[in-house]
Amino acid sequence: MIRCQALRWGAPGQPLTPPVDFELPKGSLTAVIGANGSGKSSLLKVIAGLQKPLTGKIFLDVPRQGSLSFLPQQQHLDRQFPISLQELVAAGFWGSKQSPELRSQRLKTVLEDWCLSGLEQRPLMALSGGELQRALLARLSLAQTPLLLLDEPHAALDELGQSLLWKHVHQWHAEGRTLVVVCHDLAAVRQHIPHTLLINSSGCLLGPSTELIRQQPQTQVA
Amino acid sequence: MLAATQLWQPFHEFVFMRRALIGGLVLACSTAPLGVFLILRRMSLIGDAVAHGILPGAALGFWFAGLSLPALTFGGLGAGLSMAGLAAWITRRTGLREDASLAAIYPISLASGVLILGIAGKRLDLLHLLFGSALAVDGPTLTGMLWVSGFSLIAMGLIYKPLLLDTLDPLFLQTVSRLGPLAHGVFLTLVVLNLVIGFQAIGALMVVGLMMLPAAASRFWSRRLPVLIAIAAVLGCLSVWLGLLLSFFYSLPSGPAIVLVAGGFYLLSVVLGPVHGLLRRPPLLTSQ
Repeated sequence: MIRCQALRWGAPGQPLTPPVDFELPKGSLTAVIGANGSGKSSLLKVIAGLQKPLTGKIFLDVPRQGSLSFLPQQQHLDRQFPISLQELVAAGFWGSKQSPELRSQRLKTVLEDWCLSGLEQRPLMALSGGELQRALLARLSLAQTPLLLLDEPHAALDELGQSLLWKHVHQWHAEGRTLVVVCHDLAAVRQHIPHTLLINSSGCLLGPSTELIRQQPQTQVA
Repeated sequence: MLAATQLWQPFHEFVFMRRALIGGLVLACSTAPLGVFLILRRMSLIGDAVAHGILPGAALGFWFAGLSLPALTFGGLGAGLSMAGLAAWITRRTGLREDASLAAIYPISLASGVLILGIAGKRLDLLHLLFGSALAVDGPTLTGMLWVSGFSLIAMGLIYKPLLLDTLDPLFLQTVSRLGPLAHGVFLTLVVLNLVIGFQAIGALMVVGLMMLPAAASRFWSRRLPVLIAIAAVLGCLSVWLGLLLSFFYSLPSGPAIVLVAGGFYLLSVVLGPVHGLLRRPPLLTSQ
């Protein structure tokens, strides 16, 4: 569950919206859409606790540390970093108390799930954008947190990668996890994500994706 | 040309050579991971800034307590940490770029160091502070170097994983752990500590060379972080050993001799290194 009260975010002195209130229930799957610069990515960072809100409060039903996974946009990663794909993915085990055998088993399964088998030893610099994106998603799968915040997870993914992504998103949703997904692909949102939060400079609209994306807001929440 | 026996004979024969060698080797090992991480964190300039920052502190220590190891060490440590801290604080509060902030701090440090030395009566040679003399490593300094190197290697081992993630993907680390800022702080302290203990042996500016040159050279030899660190340590140790020999047999100043050998390794790596070296074709980007 994510509840925002009188929330404003953005650069200091330049809030992106008037104060907004909304609540995303536990186990919900919600898309965040809006124009470039409307503050979708910043909203995710504010929810993840990586950026401070300007005003207002956010309540989560789980503690932030260890119960929340955040998939950032990949351009902030240094592609020259001397680390292999497997080491990047295995960072998802942070804080886990599983035995080494169980871990290597899980790692193998997750790499297979994301079609990354055979690329384990590849350095980051030799990965394509799509492979790196799948590696970041695989790292996220390992963590098994109840709250997932995905910033443009479909970016750089080809058709196969996208179908893998949506398969996993549906699976996570079915497991009862709470997901918030920033997504530009409105057709995909209509098809795969039941609820949508639309951000614009006058506030936020929350409603069923099929209705909101036809420009027919159901609930005015700002 | 050096004969085989001459490669260790000076160290066998003279205590001051042995001390210089041991001190230099342990310093090369502990500065290797620090240099590699400084480069990965795009903080290569901070070594220079801190090395200059140490100067006014060491000069103050000298002014008040004379040529004493603890006074120089704590003076240098205090000044080095405050210079690094001040630069970081200005960057965080004003958004001034980190390199600009560091570049602004170090002339200030250098000038105040020279000024203090001037007021103190020039009894301490500025050249000695900046370029040092490995051949003047005495017992207490060597003990200090062994402690600092041992401590930094252990501390680096402890913060390795959080520091790696904080360097590669700080947002990810922030969502799983609060260790990021701690790892960063410990890391910076270790950098300053190594520079301070090193400046008394091979000089403030030379120790930066020993920290950064092997680290920069190792980047041309591997794409794996532990291997990079190991290569940097080996290159650093070789530079100390060969540099000391050159300085012994050809009566050269030891600090510059060590750093120039390291510089030679760096240039060789740029040309010959298998990872993006000049003589190699660009690496094949697909797996075989």
